[in-house]
Order: sequence, then structure tokens, then C-alpha cells
Amino acid sequence: MEKQPPMQDQLTQIEKRALQDINEARDLKSLQEAEVKHLGRKSALTALMSKLKDLSPDEKKKIGPLSNQIKTSITNKFEEKRAQLETIEIEAKLKTEFFDITIPGSAREIGRVHPLAQLQHEVENIFHGMGFTVADGPEIESEYYNFEGLNIPADHPARDMQDTFFVDAKHEAKHGRLVLRTQTSPVQIRTMEKYGAPLRIIVPGRVFRNEATDASHETTFHQVEGLLIDTHISLANLKGIMTEFLTELFKKEVSVRFRPGYFPFVEPGVELDFSCLICTGKGCSVCKRTGWVEFMGAGMVHPNVLKAGGIDSQKYRGWAFGFGLERLAMMRYGIDDIRLFHSGDLRFIKQF
Amino acid sequence: MKISLNWLRDFVDIPAGTDPVKLGELFTLRTAEVEHVENQADMFDKMVIGRIEKISAHPDADKLKVTITDVGKEKLQIVCGGPNIKEGMLVLVALVGAKVKWHGQGDPVVLEKAKIRGVESFGMICAGEEIGLDPTPEGIADLSHLKAATGTPLAAALNKNDVIFDIDNKAITHRPDLWGHYGIAREIAAITGKKLKPLKPKVSFPATAGAKSAAATALSVEVKDKKLCPRYIGVLMENIKIEPSPDWIQKRLLATGHRPINCVVDATNYVMTELGQPLHAFDADKIEGGIIVRTAKDKEEIHTLDDQKRKLTKEMLVIADHKKSVAIAGVMGGANSEVEQKTTRIILEAANFNPSSVRKTATALGLRTEAVQRFEKSLDPNLAETAMDRLCEIILQICPSAKIATPKIDVADFDEKSQKITLNLDRVRGKIGTDIPTKEIVRILVSLEFKAKESTDKKIEVQIPTFRQAKDVSIEDDLTEEIARLYGYENIKPTLPLLPAKVPLENNERKLKHLAREILSKGLGFHEVYNYSFYSLKDIQKCLLPEELHIKVENPLSLDQTHMRLSLIPNMLKNTALNQKNFSQFSIYEIGRTYEDLQEYFPIEEKKICAMIVRGKNTGGNEEDVFSRAKGALENLLSFFATQGLSMRRGESLAPYAHPGKYASYHLKKDDTFIARVFELHPMVAKNYELEDAKIAAFEINFTALATLGRRERKYSPIPKFPGIEFDVSVLINKTVTIEQMLREIESADKKLVHSVHLFDLYEGKNVPEDKKSCAFKIMLQASDRTLESDEMKCVQQEVFTRLQKLGGEIRGLRA
Repeated sequence: MEKQPPMQDQLTQIEKRALQDINEARDLKSLQEAEVKHLGRKSALTALMSKLKDLSPDEKKKIGPLSNQIKTSITNKFEEKRAQLETIEIEAKLKTEFFDITIPGSAREIGRVHPLAQLQHEVENIFHGMGFTVADGPEIESEYYNFEGLNIPADHPARDMQDTFFVDAKHEAKHGRLVLRTQTSPVQIRTMEKYGAPLRIIVPGRVFRNEATDASHETTFHQVEGLLIDTHISLANLKGIMTEFLTELFKKEVSVRFRPGYFPFVEPGVELDFSCLICTGKGCSVCKRTGWVEFMGAGMVHPNVLKAGGIDSQKYRGWAFGFGLERLAMMRYGIDDIRLFHSGDLRFIKQF
Repeated sequence: MKISLNWLRDFVDIPAGTDPVKLGELFTLRTAEVEHVENQADMFDKMVIGRIEKISAHPDADKLKVTITDVGKEKLQIVCGGPNIKEGMLVLVALVGAKVKWHGQGDPVVLEKAKIRGVESFGMICAGEEIGLDPTPEGIADLSHLKAATGTPLAAALNKNDVIFDIDNKAITHRPDLWGHYGIAREIAAITGKKLKPLKPKVSFPATAGAKSAAATALSVEVKDKKLCPRYIGVLMENIKIEPSPDWIQKRLLATGHRPINCVVDATNYVMTELGQPLHAFDADKIEGGIIVRTAKDKEEIHTLDDQKRKLTKEMLVIADHKKSVAIAGVMGGANSEVEQKTTRIILEAANFNPSSVRKTATALGLRTEAVQRFEKSLDPNLAETAMDRLCEIILQICPSAKIATPKIDVADFDEKSQKITLNLDRVRGKIGTDIPTKEIVRILVSLEFKAKESTDKKIEVQIPTFRQAKDVSIEDDLTEEIARLYGYENIKPTLPLLPAKVPLENNERKLKHLAREILSKGLGFHEVYNYSFYSLKDIQKCLLPEELHIKVENPLSLDQTHMRLSLIPNMLKNTALNQKNFSQFSIYEIGRTYEDLQEYFPIEEKKICAMIVRGKNTGGNEEDVFSRAKGALENLLSFFATQGLSMRRGESLAPYAHPGKYASYHLKKDDTFIARVFELHPMVAKNYELEDAKIAAFEINFTALATLGRRERKYSPIPKFPGIEFDVSVLINKTVTIEQMLREIESADKKLVHSVHLFDLYEGKNVPEDKKSCAFKIMLQASDRTLESDEMKCVQQEVFTRLQKLGGEIRGLRA
């Protein structure tokens, strides 16, 4: 049997060779091979350590810790080198890799809410914040609620202001015939009857007019009715609330003005315009160079209407307004044809 | 309504330098909307009188000529194609910068210097229609008769120096007093602080010396229905000579949109346009035995001035003589009493008719005239007399031979005395929201011819002029409007009302509707559409819907919109057909109402949600099961509502447009209330819409019913502390065994430990016998108090196998 160098020397040798191989490893693969060679099951170090148990207690005390120390040292060196080589490899890869970031992203399509529904929701939220309840009423309405109750008797010329669709020839003594409501105002009476005064409601809803359609006229459109009744309500308040509303909706300072307007269910009756958002009042094509955009009809609720709703007009008063949602949406999004809203065309809907 | 500035100046001082546009704006802000201000001078801007000095042939065009035209300051070369031009002719020349209409059509364009077939042209010699005048079919308008100097501005040469205000008729629906120039002048006087010139026609009538004098008996007037005719004034005039009326009358009539006819008819139109009182003239020689105002006999016929035979009904009021009817009262005159060239004696009518009767008659006959427009607004009966005076004055002025033969035969039965309103000043100020001084309130009212006196009282009395009290001013609120508008709406400062900061009542249904939108659009990828509330009979037939349940529109605008929708499906199928042209696959939904006649007076309106999943033929061979997609989307949506007590059923509440086999409905367990259905489209319906190549599944929800359930309440259940064990089972089984049957068996294998079962594969076709399907489930076992042992899993697994085998299944991958 060949005489073995002392174990101490063997260990030094092992360490030296291992360090040399680590040093020479140029890539992860050769490092891995070196690791197997020097630390693996068949390595000299493992063999040597397996012999430790045969040593005398004295030698064990000496060689044991030493061998462990050398194993740890080699292991650490390997880790160090591996980290080094990995960094080099990743960096090399990063340098050579090409990735085309212009490939379109992929995602499941998100559906769109109809622009009118979006706008209506916003309007509801703003008024809700000012204490208004959202009310509702039927779209097939009686002549009474749509006209008489609103101070528009039969044979009144004001009936010409709204071309009306009638449905199935039903007739009832108080209610008259059935119509497709031409305005959301009938809900004023219905709500007064139900809740009495004071009252703070808005009524967004679908209305109908029997008019030939074109880019700015539709048989079907949406109105938002507003009604505020209390003991001390004024026209100045109407200006105040609408200024708040429009400023909140458009997120910029908006002012409003009144012009006289005639609607039988209000007295005084006004048309409300707001300052043109495009030209801020200087005059442009959108506002027909007036600086003002026609927005809605409004006024103080006529005593006859309060009476129809069962409210004491000596004690209570209030105002009502009605504006078109389509008009507002057209202004906001620059839509030039009102018929698009009911076209069901996804080339339109998908833009919102 | 068209209003002439020059005419207004007869009654109110409008200073020469007034900007008409500014005046129009002021009128809009104080009284009624002026839709358009047309300045005649502007229309003819950069147009002058020219004389054609020389005409030579165009070198390159047979039909064109090259002229040298004298336009005053200079001589211009102008190319012209008019066939009738002559040297020395006076013509109207549009200079560079003028606005002309090419060939009299389209929008005006600004004229530029141009080369016409290679020859320079520095203006245009115009035809009448090219600059908005009467058409000159012969070619170029020949103005030689004007004898005007070259270079005279055309507006001056043609005496076009008026400004026309177009007032929105709807804005004066409640103001009968504004349907003529005098009323408008009165408003302008009040607005601008000027004085209104009184209108006092200077005319005298023969005295009624004794009721039986010849003058008094020459014309008899009898009013049979005084309710429908509160006042009728008749006057007979003789020695009439029918001629065209003078220029100044014609000019004003033309400017306000009336066609001049003859001096008598023009005079009636002139006074109507001036005062707002419709008037009529009959040929007295065609009236047999005097005027009778009566209701028509049933089916009585009259031939009206527009050359139509009209059949009347017995509610309609007519003017008649002793033999026949000669006019429809307040609507239109009859041809049988028309003033003609040979007419020498006329009966003039100034009357007041019941507004709603006139309106009903006009509506029934489909005949809207200027007279109807005015009478239906409720005219002041006092106006009839003023108008008659003025009419006689004008006729005497323009037809000097004429002679008034009778006094005003005035049959009147009306009480139009001026009424009073007590004005509570604090309330008025409160309603306007501005502290307007009493002095100012009184000033405003007086400027509008109301009578009011300043006082320290909290209340003042206001007397209403008769021309404002018919259906216009009758209560305090009406006066509030007068005060507010003339005070100036712009002077009202915006203020916010002091109101209790109460949380408003929540509209739950509306809130849930917005929730449904969020889930459908943002969660499930559907796009929202809006459709009309109506569709056509064809749609009903195409969708196999029962026509009789539909509510019909009595006066539809088109044949596409004749029936109120009973279902959202038909219009959405139209959307589908449209969108298929642009998209191979898409999902859409609508939230809207349907209408059903249930024999009660008010129909039932229900809010529905309808969603549709469409997969076109060429979607990359990816054969998707649209039914299961629709079902998944529906159940996902329903899971946000309190739908725990919901059961799915087969073959109930079928819909005619649904595939009867690929169909399921959802009902409340407690009372069977129908909530929703999911289905594939009936193949026949698909064919009817030419959609047979697409795969279409849909679901419909009765949202009204769903919303009453409310939102599902959420409760936390603890997250398991111990891991569960999963295993898969794959089974080959008869097609007729439903997934639901299998799920029930799997869940029953161990009710405590089976935590969830998920079908992750379902296959029929190649490599599977024809009557079989292959299903694979992932089963998750879970215990809340321990980590499960593999023996426990094996035990459950065995039970699952046994139960599926009992259903006739063959467990795949199970070693025998």
C-alpha cells in the first residue's frame, strides 16, 4: 500500500486543485463539472472525510474541523464563482436577445356602457349629491298626466309644441287617451301625488316625439326632469343649482343665463342657456356666435300643476326643468348625428 | 313670424343707429326668441347697378360673352352667359366679395375674381334667383326701368332697406298680443324705455240715425251661436275699384311673407299683420240677404279659397248668408263670396271667435292658416273694433273712390272688462329671488300698459289691459314673469337654496340597473346598445311573436315603428345583422322596457335585460358553445343578486323565438316567478334574419322582478386552515345522463368532504361511441379541522366511481 501524504497535506492539495478548477471555469457548465469533481460523492474530499471516523481522537480533533473548514471554503468559492458566471451569462443574454415590444398587447375585450347611460349615471350622481332622489314613471302615459295635469288642456295651442304618438284607442274619462310621453314632466304630478311637499327629484327617462328624423331630431330621446318644491324656492336658486350642476359635470367654470320661454306648466317660464365651453363665451360656430348654448326649458311650477299634484300653492312653490341627454352627450363627445345613439352600431358604441 | 323694422318704426322710435342684431338679442332676452335677423342691405352687399357698355364674343365658348360693364367708379370686364343681354342694358352686378347662389341653388358663395374659359371676369351679372330676388327665367334681370345711376348700391336702387326679424312662433304661443307689429312695438317700447305711439285710426262711419235708416239696414248681421262668436263687426263699403295695392303695402306684405293679391285682400292682410286681428272681405253682391254666423249643417260642403271642397260637421262654425255658407269662421273664406276683379261692394268682417272651436275645426280639416294661428291663441274682442277702424282707414287710403256705406254693425256678447290682480310684493320678490324695489316693479308694469300705483303696502293692485288678459295674464305668477323678464333675467344672481342636508331616498332599482351594467360590460365583456321602443309587424312575424299582445301606435311615423315592443329580441337581432358586417363575433345587451296590454287602462311596463352572444361562421374554427357562454354570463350576473332561491327549469315559460331544446328558464322557488331564460335562437328566426350561419345564444331577464330581490348580501366564511386534496375522475357515459345528475351523485359521495366539483372537460365525437360522451371532473375534498389522509381520499374516490358506474358510466383509466 502506497504511503499516503498526511491528511493535512491532502486537504491542502484538495483545496488548491479545487480553487484552480474554479478559477479556470469559464462557464456554468464547467463550473458544475468541477463542483461534482471536488464536492460530489466521488470526490477526493468526500473520500477523505469518510475516512475521518478511522482516525485517532487526537487527529480527529485536528483534521475534522480543518476538513469542514476547507469544504465550506470550497463551497463558498463555488457559490461566489457561480454568482459571477450567472451574472455574466444573464448580461450576455440581455445583450444579444431581441424582443419586439410593438407586438400588440392581448387582453379580453371589456364591454362598453352606452354613452347615454354613462352620462345619465353621472347626472344622477351629481344631483343625488345635492339631495335629489331619482324618480321614475311610465313611458306609455295618459293624456291627463302628459298634458291636462301639466296645465295643457285639450285644444290648447301648446299641444302643437310637441308632436305626440298615440297608442291603441283606449279612452278613460279622467285620463283621456294613452300617449307615448312627450316629456318626463308627467312624473312631476305622479311624484307630487305620491310624496307631497317638500320634494327634490330628478327624472331621467325616455321620451317620444312624432317628428321626422334627421341629424338633430329623433322620435326617441332622453330627458332629465328636475323638480324642487319647498316653501322658499326662487328662480335665483334655479340659476344656482344649475351652475353647480354644469360646473361639476364639465369640470370647469360654467355660467348660465335665462331667457323668457313659454311652457304652460311653469310661470314664469324660462329658457336656460350656458356659456359656450368651446369659446368660453367669445362666440364660435358651436354656439352660433352667441357665446351661449341652448340647454333647457325651466321655470317656477305653475300653481295649476301644484294643484293637480295635490300641493298647496299658497304654502309651497318650486321650480322644474327638463333637458335633453342626447344634446349634452353630443356636445361632450362631438357627435354630429343624434340617430347614432339608437343605431346599435358597435362602431359607435365601442368608442366610449 | 316675420316682423319688419320699418313697420315697427311706425309705432315706436327706434333710433337710426340701432344695431338690428343687438335689438334682436335684447328682444330674445326680454320677450321671445328672435331666431334670425335678416338685413336686406347685407343681402345685397357689394351689388350695384351696372350698364353693359360693350358685348363681344368669348374666344373659346359659344354660349358665353365678354362684356365691358360700367359700375360707376370703373368699367369691368365681366364674362356672362345670359342669353338676353344687350348693350346699354341696366343690370345688377355682383362685385368680387358679394354672396351669390349659383343658378339660384344651394348656399350662397362668396364671389371671387375668376378666369372663365381663359378670360378674366371681375364680377357677375346676375339673374334674380341668383341673389334671392324673384326669378328671371328669361336670363339676366333687366333693371333698365329703374333709371338708376351706375354704381348705385342695389339695396338703395331696389329700395331694400328693411330689416326682418324672424320670431319663434312657439315662444309667443301664450301671447296673442304679439301676433302683429303693433304688439311687438309695444314690447320694444317697454324694453327700450321709449313711448309707444297710439294707434287711433282716423275714419268716420255714417251715423245710425234711427235704426231703420238706409245705412243701418243695408247690412244685417245675425249671430246664432254667441259662445262660439262673442263678437262680429260687419261694415259695408261701396265704390270699390279692385286694383293692385300701392308699392308701400306690397313691399311690407312681401317682407313679412305675404303674397300681394289686390288692394282689398292686401288691406285685410296688412291690418292683420299690423294688429294681429284676422280680417275678411266678402264680395257684397254675392251675399244673399245678410250675414248669419251659425254652426254648419252636418255634411254641409263649402268650396274654400284654396280651391278645395271641404265637408263640414255640425260643431263647426261658419259665416253664412241666408242661402249658403260663405266662410269657415276664423279659418278660411269661401270661393263663392271671393273678392274679384269686378267686385265693387264689399262686406268687411272683424270678429272674435272661440279659440278652441277654431282650433278644433282647423285640426279636423287639416287647414292651418294665419287666421287660425291667431284666433286659437285667444284674441281680445276689443281688438276687433280697432282693427275694423284701421282696415277702413287703409282701404279709403289706397282706394280713394271707396265709400263706407254702413256704420259698424257690431253684434257683441262678451265681458272683456279689464280684470284686477292683487300682487303680494314679498312673494313676487321671493319667487324671483331678488329684492326688486316697488318703484321698479310699478315702472315695469306701467311700461307694459298694466295699471299700477306705487304704495308702501305689501300688496298692490294691478289692472290688466284687455289685450293681455285672455289666457295670458290672470294670476300673480303671470305678473311675476312680466316683472322678472323686464327687470332682466341677467340681473338675478345665482344663489343656492337653504335646504336640509338630508340623504335623499335611494332609487334601488336604478342603482341595481347601473350595477348590472357594470357587471355585463366591465365584467363579462358585453357592449350596451339602445334601441327604439317600437318595431314593425314584420319583426313580430320574423320573431314568431303573437301580434295580438302588442300595443299598436295609432299614428306611426313609419312602417318600421308600428308596434310597441313586447320583447327586446327583434331590435337586437337587427343590431346583430348590422354588426355582423363589421365584426365576426361580439356580445351585446340592452336594458329597456317592454309594454304589454293587460286590458287595464295603463299597460304593463316591465324593465328587461336582454343579452346576445354572436359568433360568426369564421371565428378561426374555434367552435365555442354559445349556449354555455350565455348561461355562464347569466348565472354570473344573477349571482350578484339575492337569487339563492332560484331554480333552473327545462321547458317552462318558453319563448317563441327560442330554440325549444336549447332552452332553460330560471324561476323563484317560492312562487315560481319567472326571472330569466337562456337559449339559443330558434333556427327559423335565425333564418328569417338571415343569421343562420352565425351561432347565437341569448338570455333575457325580467329586471323588474330581479331588482325586487335586491343585491346579494355578502358574509365572510373563514378561509380553510388545512389543505384540501384534489383528484380527477374521467367518465364515459350515455349522452342522456345530464351533468346535473352526475354532479348530484359526486356531491353525495361524501356530503361533508366534497368541497367543490368542477367539470373541466366534456367531449363528444371522434373516438367516443356515438351515444356516449366523455366527461372529466376535478373534485376537491376539504375538512375544516384536519389535513385529509390519502386513505380518506381513496375512500371518497371509490364511492364516486361506484355512483357514476351506477349511472351507467365507465370510469376511464381505472385498472380492472
